[in-house]
Amino acid sequence: MNGSSIAQMNHNEKKAFLVKTSSLKDVRTFCREVFEKLEIDQNLKDELVLAIAEAAQNIVKHAYKDNPSSNDIMVVEVSCVNNKLKIAFYDRGTPVDPEKVKHRELDNIRPGGLGTFFIQEIMDAVEFKDGKKPWINHLVLTKQL
Amino acid sequence: MKFKVTENENISTVFLNGEIDMDIADNVREVIFPLIDSGKEVHLNMKDVQYMDSSGISVIVESNQRAKEKNTKVELKEVSQPVEKVLAMARKFL
Repeated sequence: MNGSSIAQMNHNEKKAFLVKTSSLKDVRTFCREVFEKLEIDQNLKDELVLAIAEAAQNIVKHAYKDNPSSNDIMVVEVSCVNNKLKIAFYDRGTPVDPEKVKHRELDNIRPGGLGTFFIQEIMDAVEFKDGKKPWINHLVLTKQL
Repeated sequence: MKFKVTENENISTVFLNGEIDMDIADNVREVIFPLIDSGKEVHLNMKDVQYMDSSGISVIVESNQRAKEKNTKVELKEVSQPVEKVLAMARKFL
């Protein structure tokens, strides 16, 4: 997806959230506030918030599938350097196998995997990196603004 | 979260609002599914939905499939711009 932006400044901000479905709204609010500071236009901002929310939802839904009552936190870090936006997620859930994180085949009419499709449509790159202690999973989404 | 529901003959209209995400999706199912199961045609008015993600799309797809099984249907009415945008993206996938 394309979108214009006037983000000019370098910026870095991060926040911790409980790994709960009730935190997803707070994740969106945090990201909207950061994107306001970066003066990212509304259209792109909406897309980025959707991608970030889907990634955070995947942590709740998949990385903590077997531990829904956990009081663990996940951290979302938004940084922008030279107009390259980087959104990093850190969690201590079940290790993600990057090979298994893909959207399903197009001829299978079910909504599962749609969130991953949205993330891939909106962002330029989706990378799973080695989570350094205390983290287990470290997902990085990037987009050139 | 509560959603207004109006009845007109065999059509139930559910007025969704706010932000529909994974946290809210089950609430929406709890409103829509019993209407479908009772054989009603269900209209989803989405003009006041400011945000919807894949969880909301899941609810719509599941509702549609459930309605077909019950020989009725689900229609989207007055879709807001943010919802239309997500639906457009989802149509490339579904």
